[in-house]
Amino acid sequence: MPPSPSQPASQSDQILAAAKQWRQQIPGDLHEHVVEAIYGQAARIAERSVSSPSQAARPTFDRSLDHILTSKLWGFPIMILLFAVMFWITITGANIPSAWLSWLLIDQGHSWLRGIFQSVGSPEWLTGFVVDGMYLATAWVVSVMLPPMAIFFPLFTLLEDFGYLPRVAFNLDRLFKVSGGHGKQAMTTMMGFGCNAAGVVATRIIDSPRERLLAIITNNFALCNGRWPTQFLIATVFLGSLVPAVLAGLVAAAAVTSVAMLGVLLTFLVSWGLSRTLLKGEVSTFSLELPPYRPPRFWQTLYTSLIDRTLFVLWRAVVFALPAGAVIWLVANVYVGGESLAEHFIRVADPLGLFIGLNGVILLAYVIAIPANEIVIPTVLMLTVMTTGLQDVGAGTGVMFELQSGDAVGQLLTAGGWTTLTAVNLMLFSLLHNPCSTTIYTIYRETGSAKWTMVSTLLPLALGFVVCALTAWGWRLLSVAPG
Amino acid sequence: MSSAHPPSPTENVATAPVVDACASCSVYRAANLKKLGVAMEDWDFVVALAGNPNTGKSTVFNALTGLRQHTGNWPGKTVARAEGGYAYGDHRFKLVDLPGTYSLLSTSLDEQIARDFILFGQPDVTVIVADATRLERNLNLVLQILEITDRAVVCLNLMDEARRHGITVDDRQLARDLGVPVVPASARFGRGLPELLQAINEVATGQVVCRPQRLETVPAAIRPALTAVVGELEAAYPNLPNPRWVALRLLSGDESMVDALRGGQLGTLHSLATTESNKE
Amino acid sequence: MNHALPVVASLIAMAVVFWPRYGLWARWQLAQELARRIRREDALKHLIKSEANGRVATLNSLAGALQISAANAASLLEELEERELVTFEDGRPLLRPAGRAMALHVVRAHRLWESYLAEQTGVPELEWHPRAEEREHLLTPEEADALAARLGHPTRDPHGDVIPPPHGDLEGDPGQSLNTAAPQTPVLITHIEDEPDTVYRQLVALGLRPGMRAFVIEKTPSRVRFWVDGNEQILAPILAQNVFVRPLPEFRTEDLVEEEFLSGLKPQARTRVIGLSPACRGQERRRLLDLGFVPGTVVEVEMISPAGDPTAYRVRGTIVALRREQANLIRVSSKEASDR
Ligand SMILES: Nc1nc2c(ncn2[C@@H]2O[C@H](COP(=O)(O)OP(=O)(O)OP(=O)(O)O)[C@@H](O)[C@H]2O)c(=O)[nH]1
Ligand SMILES: [Mg+2]
Repeated sequence: MPPSPSQPASQSDQILAAAKQWRQQIPGDLHEHVVEAIYGQAARIAERSVSSPSQAARPTFDRSLDHILTSKLWGFPIMILLFAVMFWITITGANIPSAWLSWLLIDQGHSWLRGIFQSVGSPEWLTGFVVDGMYLATAWVVSVMLPPMAIFFPLFTLLEDFGYLPRVAFNLDRLFKVSGGHGKQAMTTMMGFGCNAAGVVATRIIDSPRERLLAIITNNFALCNGRWPTQFLIATVFLGSLVPAVLAGLVAAAAVTSVAMLGVLLTFLVSWGLSRTLLKGEVSTFSLELPPYRPPRFWQTLYTSLIDRTLFVLWRAVVFALPAGAVIWLVANVYVGGESLAEHFIRVADPLGLFIGLNGVILLAYVIAIPANEIVIPTVLMLTVMTTGLQDVGAGTGVMFELQSGDAVGQLLTAGGWTTLTAVNLMLFSLLHNPCSTTIYTIYRETGSAKWTMVSTLLPLALGFVVCALTAWGWRLLSVAPG
Repeated sequence: MSSAHPPSPTENVATAPVVDACASCSVYRAANLKKLGVAMEDWDFVVALAGNPNTGKSTVFNALTGLRQHTGNWPGKTVARAEGGYAYGDHRFKLVDLPGTYSLLSTSLDEQIARDFILFGQPDVTVIVADATRLERNLNLVLQILEITDRAVVCLNLMDEARRHGITVDDRQLARDLGVPVVPASARFGRGLPELLQAINEVATGQVVCRPQRLETVPAAIRPALTAVVGELEAAYPNLPNPRWVALRLLSGDESMVDALRGGQLGTLHSLATTESNKE
Repeated sequence: MNHALPVVASLIAMAVVFWPRYGLWARWQLAQELARRIRREDALKHLIKSEANGRVATLNSLAGALQISAANAASLLEELEERELVTFEDGRPLLRPAGRAMALHVVRAHRLWESYLAEQTGVPELEWHPRAEEREHLLTPEEADALAARLGHPTRDPHGDVIPPPHGDLEGDPGQSLNTAAPQTPVLITHIEDEPDTVYRQLVALGLRPGMRAFVIEKTPSRVRFWVDGNEQILAPILAQNVFVRPLPEFRTEDLVEEEFLSGLKPQARTRVIGLSPACRGQERRRLLDLGFVPGTVVEVEMISPAGDPTAYRVRGTIVALRREQANLIRVSSKEASDR
């Protein structure tokens, strides 16, 4: 025992020894005695100052709503329906602002900026690097990402402020228990819908280390900010277009709901698997307070979450899309042995990509997009232009060009060899791949373990390959059989 | 000053400087508030926001600092400490938003950040945000915090909800019973915040001295042990402000308290307490 | 040139085998040493446990407990005597102070480790004992103290045994066995013997835990029928022998029968908390107390999850959801509570 700097060592030791000795003499649990005494006093004080109408003060509204939202019959369908409706509103609502932003930032902004660069006599490589690379990547991210996020998140925040999320945890806890996890994993998953890094930090609400690790590893199965727009866009362009226009929104929403639900399903399966292998153990306890329903302040929520989302997306766009745009331009324009770096990679990766129902372009895009999932779609588009040689559509190699509507995206990608399978698998792969670099770093910070960071990074990626390969295989089987 | 102000449960030791008659109306005091956001290099006082989960701590924090700390209607939304600042009157305050906690006695990991800051962060004032609709449950934590510190303000939040459910709380009675200022508020609608600011200011500057309610009946089972250890502590540190709490923690083997005792922090804690009381 | 290869190869092989500390030989020796130490400590543990329970340890009892031959047991005792851990009196082995301290530490480490596994890891109940059997030899006294501090200085392990303080005595005698308990007399289960393993497994499977309250209803040579925490159970005497109990003079059988568990509460029913079962330990216990499940509190079932579990209870004005296993640890009165 080191001597204490300020008091003679013997004095503090004496106190500690006394405490140690007396500790043995206390019958039962000290904590229990104290808590009981405190509650007793709290009750006496409360009695003097609080007057409430009757013991059964729980509002009948809360009570009846709870009975519906957690009922055997309606609990789960309502949960799924609520999310599907949110997706539908997002998909249908985002079209107009998306088109408008893309007109403003890409149609107008890009040529305007290019004009400025040319008029001041900037060399072509610099114009290409800054305007066609950095600016366009950022503009794309903003016009594709911002509208759906600015609609989806206010809606989600309304649900959160209303008090619905803990009910979801309440409904799902049994499934989490069976798979060896903690009911609050549902809460952290839903926080992951905003941003996986935030979801990983939110796992601090889970007290048991084993179950917290499960929640951290599976958080990546919650689609995040950077991935929802990919889902919305691809679902609209490829799956929505398979049906008459009236139904397009519904089909797209259903597709996104399915992918989100697949994420939840995998959360259960992976938790289950890990609980029986790497993270063996029994479930610990679960106690969750269910707050009263509170009417959300509609306009205020709308406003703050809009501002927050806009700032967040813009910030990410600047921080990640700007440099990534530059990287994209570089890999497309640095030639080694007569081929650009991008072409090298795509040629090598294509067989693997096609095998799992994707293609080399998508794989390269996911490598470039490790810092931020937001830039996957712009990168895919740009690389597709380059490889299909559709020079007339775009403005040049490594340039992300103007596409006003989803149709044009569809046409371009189809020209790049995309099929419905590619679209479906991109949606799956967008759900199942390594977390973005921020999340990886957050996982490392929260777990303090390189091992678990590796597991959380590689496990989803491996799953992504397996699920995509299986889907591709099944798809080919089915589409060959009838013919 | 005191005519419009609800009679303070605690005695006004130093008479506040005479100000004009409007000093107590909320408009005046709200105008006194300057939200500083995250800019707070030098502050005069540190104020901690403690309380049970989901009682509106982050809402109060946002209202006072002008920041946008996330809030949400479920317990556990805040998991990390957040800091912001505001200026009120002539003083600059650093406000610390903490994760919610049910109790300071437990050892659960998810409550550790809040527990450690309340116990060892030595805030100048601890604002305990309590849910007016579930006062009895919230008093559990309030009473625990009052065992530790005598510079606390209870913010009785969610008064609008309480009213809607027909619950009334006699805040003066409560203030008398607890021995610290009690301020009814509806943080979401900005109601009660001017009064809260003033109460914080008064406690921080020592204009109001709290006489917090300490646990009145020590359970018989632990009384001998507690008395003995308190005796030892008082002999060693005569000026320790909360010997009973320290003794309780030592008896339950709380490691951070044991370390504090061994490392001599208890000594500084008590010397701090003496310099503070000398100042008054 | 060609000769170099075999030379290098054999040098490498030698290094692999004989390298100090990390070589195979060194490792093997270490493992041997550890195995010998474990045997010594197990022998000391046997001696202290026999002593605490008022039994006389002999060469044969030691051989039986450690499952070694009598000859091996004899040489083991000799070794302990050489190390001044044990002396002999009338040919019977007795612990010397050093041996007693060592034995006490091993028992303490074992019970602390079981507590740790029970409270903080989620390791299945059946693995607590075997894992602690290994770990008890690896923990240093300082580590054991640190563990105790981390667990909040528990006084009993999850089997109900007293965890001895660092320099105290080993408390023996967990009580009488359920076999010998008088019928219709309330008792508290103090201990579930974790050896032999097969019996222990069955007792655990039946849900018997220290801290449960019970009384024998009827006893015949072939079975013991008893009431325990809300249920009737039947055990063969051979199983009942491993359940230890002590009388609960402050209770009547009616009191016990009146107790129910929160998990048994019907929807919309309301009742009053009597207390937490001792089987609810550590962090979990504190959390439940903090949430307001203290004696006298009125609880009411609010709603049940669509999947059947968890259930949300109203307690002190708040809705709190608990899983069935936890609600199973909260004793409530079987009488409907009225308004406070
Ligand atoms: N009606 C009403 N609602 C309020 C008031 N103050 C806060 N709320 C709501 O209560 C909920 C919880 O508020 P927070 O500020 O996140 O609570 P907190 O104490 O920080 O919660 P944790 O961080 O989880 O401990 C939010 O939905 C707020 O909008 C109030 O005065 N009246
Ligand atoms: Mg908060």
